Amino acid sequence: MSKARASLSRTTLVHLALIGYTLIAVFPVFLTLINSMKSRNAIFRNPMQLPTTETFDLVGYTTVLGQGDFASYFQNSFIVTVAAIALVLLFGAMAAFALSEYRFRGNTLMGLYLALGIMIPIRLGTVAILQGMVATGLVNTLTALILVYTAQGIPLAVFILSEFMRTVSDDLKNAGRIDGLSEYAIFFRLVLPLVRPAMATVAVFTMIPIWNDLWFPLILAPSEATKTVTLGSQLFIGQFVTNWNAVLAALSLAILPVLVLYLVFSRQLIRGITSGAVK
Amino acid sequence: MGSLQLKSVRKSFGPVDVLKGIDLDVKDGEFVIFVGPSGCGKSTLLRIIAGLEDATSGSITIDDQEVATVPPAKRGIAMVFQSYALYPHLNVKDNMGLGLKQAGTPKDEIDRRVAKASAMLSLEKYLTRRPAELSGGQRQRVAIGRAIVREPKLFLFDEPLSNLDAALRVNTRLEIARLHRELKATMIYVTHDQVEAMTLADKIVVLDAGVIQQVGSPMELYNRPANLFVAGFIGSPGMNFIDAGRLGVSDAKTIGVRPEHVALSRDAGTWQGKVVHVEHLGADTIVYLESEAIGTLTVRLFGEHHHAVGDVVFATPSADQTHRFDAVGQAIR
Amino acid sequence: MSDATSSRDTMAPIRRPRRWHIAVFLLPAFLVYSAVMILPLIETLRLSLFNTVDGEPAFVGLANFKVLFGDARWAADFWNALKNNVIFFIIHMLVQNPIGVALAAMLSIPKLRFAAFYRTAIFLPTLLSFVIVGFIWKLILSPIWGVSPYLMDLVGLKSFFSPWLGKPDTALIAVSLISVWQYVGIPMMLIYAALLNIPEEVIEAAECDGVTGWSQFWKIKLPLILPAIGIISILTFVGNFNAFDLVYTVQGALAGPDKSTDILGTLLYRTFFGFQLQLGDRSMGATIATVMFLIILAGVSLYLFVIQRRMRRYQF
Ligand SMILES: Nc1ncnc2c1ncn2[C@@H]1O[C@H](COP(=O)(O)OP(=O)(O)OP(=O)(O)O)[C@@H](O)[C@H]1O
Ligand SMILES: [Mg+2]
Repeated sequence: MSKARASLSRTTLVHLALIGYTLIAVFPVFLTLINSMKSRNAIFRNPMQLPTTETFDLVGYTTVLGQGDFASYFQNSFIVTVAAIALVLLFGAMAAFALSEYRFRGNTLMGLYLALGIMIPIRLGTVAILQGMVATGLVNTLTALILVYTAQGIPLAVFILSEFMRTVSDDLKNAGRIDGLSEYAIFFRLVLPLVRPAMATVAVFTMIPIWNDLWFPLILAPSEATKTVTLGSQLFIGQFVTNWNAVLAALSLAILPVLVLYLVFSRQLIRGITSGAVK
Repeated sequence: MGSLQLKSVRKSFGPVDVLKGIDLDVKDGEFVIFVGPSGCGKSTLLRIIAGLEDATSGSITIDDQEVATVPPAKRGIAMVFQSYALYPHLNVKDNMGLGLKQAGTPKDEIDRRVAKASAMLSLEKYLTRRPAELSGGQRQRVAIGRAIVREPKLFLFDEPLSNLDAALRVNTRLEIARLHRELKATMIYVTHDQVEAMTLADKIVVLDAGVIQQVGSPMELYNRPANLFVAGFIGSPGMNFIDAGRLGVSDAKTIGVRPEHVALSRDAGTWQGKVVHVEHLGADTIVYLESEAIGTLTVRLFGEHHHAVGDVVFATPSADQTHRFDAVGQAIR
Repeated sequence: MSDATSSRDTMAPIRRPRRWHIAVFLLPAFLVYSAVMILPLIETLRLSLFNTVDGEPAFVGLANFKVLFGDARWAADFWNALKNNVIFFIIHMLVQNPIGVALAAMLSIPKLRFAAFYRTAIFLPTLLSFVIVGFIWKLILSPIWGVSPYLMDLVGLKSFFSPWLGKPDTALIAVSLISVWQYVGIPMMLIYAALLNIPEEVIEAAECDGVTGWSQFWKIKLPLILPAIGIISILTFVGNFNAFDLVYTVQGALAGPDKSTDILGTLLYRTFFGFQLQLGDRSMGATIATVMFLIILAGVSLYLFVIQRRMRRYQF
């Protein structure tokens, strides 16, 4: 931007506004992290202060790690999220390929049918989903969660991926056909590698709501063995409402993995969101 | 009104020097064209004049007023972009009128100017359409119309015709020439196209690597190129360059002769050569020779000529139309 | 579409082999989606027309809806939740989306320093789960801790502090603003992407026309990002009318104090699962879910068939 176009005072105002909002966005997280490492007295007396040698205290963390089964919650969340993303990507890409590549009767109808789920939340079917899971004996299994999240993720995945697959050159696919590749080989060997960036976008969009969901773990899999991190910390923190050290430590433990992953991948993630949004 | 002076204008993007000291004088009512190879800084220079980009150093004056800190809208310029850059959400009329409206011009004055500009450009039928509903040529005319209604001191065009097909390009070129005559405004125009440059310009500025190589009228550049770069850049097919040593000339390094300034004969002439390729263009015939004495030579003959590949012919340069260049490529006069 | 198959299309009489691969590609997605999402949704809608009469499931027509809208035991809760949900949505539209647009507009200023840093930081809350967000704000707004009074003191507003989450007349606003805090990142990103999509030359043309600063935003950029604002509005609508987690975390299933933060999601949860003394009621749960479905469907249809049709998408 040229000097003639931008005034210094306007730029300063913009920075002030952005710094202000950045503080609002980050401060609560920061406050939680610093206070989780302080003694109970210090938490109340000087909440704004960074932990000093006198006030430094990890009692909250020892309480939390001694009581909750966070490792197993974490493992459950991980299994559910990874399995659901894998299925969403595979099934979604296959359906997107069929819809974007072949002309057949019912193509448009099928596309609309699958797109319905983008706008209508799957939660509204919870009553019958629970019934179905009870009937098939899947209540309190991770499979139940994986199935629900797969169904939830498929519509958006089909939508985004078929947009991208239309951009893959027809000549390339026809060259493959002339070389004797089957339709399956064309899909797996030619098309999938080319839409990899779109798959990353879909993975991000799928992952966040799954990892953070409270509703379905609470309803379909609340047993100790199948609790996810989100549900686990919800219940755990609920028990400790008065033990501030433990609550702050538990919150910090829940934030840290997300924070670290985010700081590492934020560039890709934000690029994924903005490019996916443009589509 | 509408003169422009640039004094040692420099521009760097970080460590990259894009413009290395540009001095230029544009008089009121002149049509000045910037040409040069891709990436030489033509657009950057134009954008600096417009105020869309800051010069790193140097001074820019429009009508004797220093404009370095004046925003684009206050410089009395109007710019026509290569991609048209029309406002997609406004119809043709509003696209043309927005700048005036922003400046607080009374509505009837806006209407009058828009009507006049659209009459000039035969756009009356499209005033209520949006850009998406126009053809490429029509969009380009709207973009020009948007510049006209502002009645600027200085029109800036950045490759305005390069997105048009060949026929439309010729039409629009004539249109721009006519506009220049009618409006008598100062115009600065960037192009890749030699024909555009030669036909439209009062004055051509040849840029290379961020430096002005030569400024002059089209015929000056053609007849008296200042250096090897200009000599090779202006004219098509390009000038033949012959190593002076091979001709036994000692007071120059390179001898240049344009293809159209060489005569061919089957019997006798200065240089003997063998025809390696012939192109028939109808009005012209281009003959490529390979000669023992001087290497390859391109010859442009007017009308139809029949030379077969392998024929031995003699080429004679027209004596007073050769150019001599010294060791650093400067023309020797 | 491949040339090979399209040429076959035109020569219909030739018996072509069944293209089984199309079915194979579609089947997994179709099955999982139908079995886990669509059929349960339909079943839920169906269940809303049934209830237990004398211990037997029986078709009762619209009786469940009559009960929900008019019966003394249900209607008050339902209308309260609906009203709260509408307020919840309005606060999002009035606070979250304008802030998101403003942030995006500032971030998209060309060559703004630290833009990547601001973007990363402001998007952070969106990634956190409701549980984390809910508890953090519960602590910060708690009068026991004293962080909020302390901060308000810094700007001289200490006397305005009150335990907002605990008071019936402010709790809903407080919860809505927490949700806004978490979700501002989404409108910000979508608008940011839309703004980046406007060609630089159009903006430069505006600069030459003297349309700068504020008027540039209003006259050039805003009209061009209207479609993105439409998408954000409908996403906000759907998200708000199916929200649950944050209220549940901050205020519990009872959505206190005194049901002042009860929204349709929490009402559905309580109705379906029961709480404390009340037993879960499947039919009424399905009825509430159906109402939510109809509300969302109405919103989405309004968007698709009225708003989106009127809005032009611009090709640059
Ligand atoms: N914003 C920028 N940042 C860094 N380098 C730039 C920037 N804009 C232009 N350049 C560089 O400056 C040089 C000149 O660019 P400019 O656009 O003026 O070329 P041009 O002569 O208009 O070329 P063309 O004929 O292809 O349009 C190029 O090498 C380009 O890479
Ligand atoms: Mg250029």
